[in-house]
Amino acid sequence: MLRRRRKTTDFSAETEAHIQLEIERLQELGLSSEEAQAAARRAFGNVTQAQERFYEASRWLWWHGLWQDVRFGVRMLAKTPGFTVVAVLTLALGIGATTVIFSAVYAVLLKPLPFRNADRLVAIWKKNPPRGWARNPFSPAEILAWRNETGVFEDVAAFTQTSCVLNGAGEAEEDPCEIASSNLFPLLGVAPIRGRTFSPEEDKPEGPRVAILSYGLWRRRFGADESAIGRAIEVNHASYTIVGVMPADFSHLYATPYGTVPAMWLSGIALSPTRTDNDHLGIGRLKPGIDPRQAEAQLDPVSVRIEQAYPDLKGWRAQLMSVRTMVSGDTRSALAVLMGAVIFVLLIACANMANLLLARGASRAMEFAVRNALGAGQGRMVRQLLTENLVMTLTGGVLGVLLASLGCKGMAALAPRFMLNSAPGLASGAADSRVLAFALLTVLATTFVFGLAPALQSARPQLTETLKETGRSSGQSPRSRRFRSVLVVSEIALAMVLLVGAGLMVRTLAQLSRVDLGFNPAHILTLRVPLSGDRYKQPEAQVEFWAHSVAAIQALPGVESASISRDLPIDGWAGQFFTTSDRPNPPAGQVPDANYIVVGPDYFRCLQIPLRRGRSFNEHDTETARRVVIVNEELARLRWPGQDPLGKQLRVGSPSSKEPWLSVVGVAANVHSEGPDFGYRAEMYIPYRQFPWLLRPEHLLVRTSGTTKPEDLVKAVVREVHHVDQAVPVADIATLEQIAREPMMEQRMVMALMVSFAGLALMLSALGTYSVLSYSIAQRTREIGMRMALGAQRRNVLWLVVGGGARLAILGIAVGIAAALVLTRLMTDLLYGVRATDPVTFGTVTVVLVASSLLASYIPARRAINVDPIVALRHE
Amino acid sequence: MSTQEAEERLELLQGTLDLLILRTLIFGSQHGQGIARAIQQTSEEELLVEHGALYPALQRLEERGWISARWGTSANNRKARFYSLTAAGRKQLVKETARWERLAAAIGRILAREAEES
Repeated sequence: MLRRRRKTTDFSAETEAHIQLEIERLQELGLSSEEAQAAARRAFGNVTQAQERFYEASRWLWWHGLWQDVRFGVRMLAKTPGFTVVAVLTLALGIGATTVIFSAVYAVLLKPLPFRNADRLVAIWKKNPPRGWARNPFSPAEILAWRNETGVFEDVAAFTQTSCVLNGAGEAEEDPCEIASSNLFPLLGVAPIRGRTFSPEEDKPEGPRVAILSYGLWRRRFGADESAIGRAIEVNHASYTIVGVMPADFSHLYATPYGTVPAMWLSGIALSPTRTDNDHLGIGRLKPGIDPRQAEAQLDPVSVRIEQAYPDLKGWRAQLMSVRTMVSGDTRSALAVLMGAVIFVLLIACANMANLLLARGASRAMEFAVRNALGAGQGRMVRQLLTENLVMTLTGGVLGVLLASLGCKGMAALAPRFMLNSAPGLASGAADSRVLAFALLTVLATTFVFGLAPALQSARPQLTETLKETGRSSGQSPRSRRFRSVLVVSEIALAMVLLVGAGLMVRTLAQLSRVDLGFNPAHILTLRVPLSGDRYKQPEAQVEFWAHSVAAIQALPGVESASISRDLPIDGWAGQFFTTSDRPNPPAGQVPDANYIVVGPDYFRCLQIPLRRGRSFNEHDTETARRVVIVNEELARLRWPGQDPLGKQLRVGSPSSKEPWLSVVGVAANVHSEGPDFGYRAEMYIPYRQFPWLLRPEHLLVRTSGTTKPEDLVKAVVREVHHVDQAVPVADIATLEQIAREPMMEQRMVMALMVSFAGLALMLSALGTYSVLSYSIAQRTREIGMRMALGAQRRNVLWLVVGGGARLAILGIAVGIAAALVLTRLMTDLLYGVRATDPVTFGTVTVVLVASSLLASYIPARRAINVDPIVALRHE
Repeated sequence: MSTQEAEERLELLQGTLDLLILRTLIFGSQHGQGIARAIQQTSEEELLVEHGALYPALQRLEERGWISARWGTSANNRKARFYSLTAAGRKQLVKETARWERLAAAIGRILAREAEES
């Protein structure tokens, strides 16, 4: 029934009237005015108290007693420090872990992207569905047609990725950079922190050459000097004027797994409708109300028209992906799995808390019975208990948030590079206000989730039962005991799911690191030495540089061999079409392709890639010698199944290509060139002195002998390089092992986190089993004493307890297995070499859980068999 | 009245105050002090109405819709809040009275028996 609540003043008036009426009555009976007043007030009792009870009943000042409750709660918690510490730590771990994962989820998936109309921004690529190719760069001809001939875009910006050698003002260095159209920055809505961005005139190839620095480059090379704006800088041996600096976090666009954050943007994109070379990438803003899929459909007819004009572009269609999906796509499933896992941990922590509180509630039954008898309502006691819990959870929450800031740093250390690109705040462990709000929400939710049932149970004391049981140590109804068992069973089930998840990740990583990459990444130092400028225009100059430096490096003590290559063996795909002499005219759309790898002599020996047939490249494979190629087994299998590939001829490019024929002189073993979790691709190796295009070698590969660590040789190798040419930049110094590990970073991160969550879950569920069993032992001391007095063996008693624990464990494991069979399917994306239902993992995890449950029940069982029957019976 | 007297008075059992208030109001509307007086008088000063309990009880009964309240003027011309029984309250009174009589009879039977045995 809804009615207006009475005002407090209304009630005061009523109280006053009551007292006045009483005074008048007493005066009528003959008392003096003073006597009557005193008697009336005395009879009414404490006016303030009556009013307080009025507030309380009408929930007027509900919060008024809160402070009182908090103080009482703190006193109660301080009285049982052991309980409080366990509880607060459990909560801190649960809330801390949840906060860490949420901050990653928030940073990567939820945080608004720092772009204008970010929800309408799409990354533009092209795809070739019949051949299964996606995310390819497109040509100017295509982007111009897509932009001009349809109405799907509000604006389109294009850029190409390239590398820039900086000279002048310090040592020569080489950085990734982009040649970008002037509208890229306004399209994204990101303003420079210094200076300006490009003007449309600067897009023209003959326009002024200007550059925008990234924040990192500005600080590193210019010491964040304001006067850098307007200065000239030598980029790729041409002079550019610096016009602006972009903000530090302008990196979200590059958060794809292999995206590199450019150090600089250059003007002069020169989009020409006749150019068909595929080296452009794009960002577009869709008109409102058009989604990427609809836009793709509208762009298809345009692509069909262009492919008639340019046969090179046959089969290619526009591919659009929202920037949000692009930025987060690769981490989405990992983060979803982790979020699920951490919620499980939190649930286990809650179940444990509920368990502890139930046990505590039972021991406080007398307190509540007395308070109830004194007139405290059920609501009042539930409130009191929830406040106590809240004090505990808040303490746990504060600790948890502190733990989380450490955890975020730990996670950042584990996170793959692309994830850090998309979530720059992750590394600093900075607490976002929204993350803090989430933590607070978690605190409140957990307080209710774990606290309500025990509070209701405690606040509804069965007076008679409590009275009956006074002085005896049993204080729990069978119903509550059953409830506690259900809690433990669910904890074990949840722990089972987490352990299986962790186990699957461990197996995945073991499988991944067991994968024979096809080359041996150990003991290899890699450096990138890009040759550029007038000095290296002539191939002879390059050959001379490489010959001298490789020879000098090979002569260094501790070096076993050295070689050069265009790309590193796991740099991914640099595909080229080719045709073979025995099938020179494959139908359009069926032209084979292969990874195109430009290498120096000794490459195979240096990387220890076995040669299956034929020979390796050597010093005689020069510009003037017969053109040769080494193919990998996969290419040989696809093109010449069952035939000897040696002596076969192939030609790089489309069937109409005028490239020279190359003779196959060797067959190399397959290499996992896109990381261990990808299959083999067809590959062809070209000796660098015969490269038909300007795909110059860039990487030096140095294999050290047994006892020398590659890291120790860095100085000597760089010195030798600079000995040959002081002006060449040396970049990306790393060991090949580090680089080979990069594709596994995501799985490694998920594994590390899952394993710690599972460990936590295992610990908490064991604690749950332990607390339930020791509680039940404490309650059954008399029964056990009786049994022993009647002749039960210690063995029987042991079994009584351990059997109880085992029953809980078996039930929990059964439920857990069923849940895990369903839930681990969601992890399939992250697994490698192991199925989501892997029996080995399930088996091992079962054994671990049974062992931990037995251990958890063994300790209370020891206590049970040490019960002295005499003492136990007298105890009551 | 002395403290001694007050202590010898019976305290009301939980829940019975509601019944007594409803019963008192059957004779017409009354203010809080009048209700307390009436209960004490009718019980021949055996029952003590805790004022701290009276008003929450009135509040509770009002919220349940068993009594209604309005401000009025007392016999000696003082402004007071008068409570009167609603139709629902009347029904509740009948129900509660029957329940109370059954309970009292049951307890009476038990007590009589115990007295015999001892």
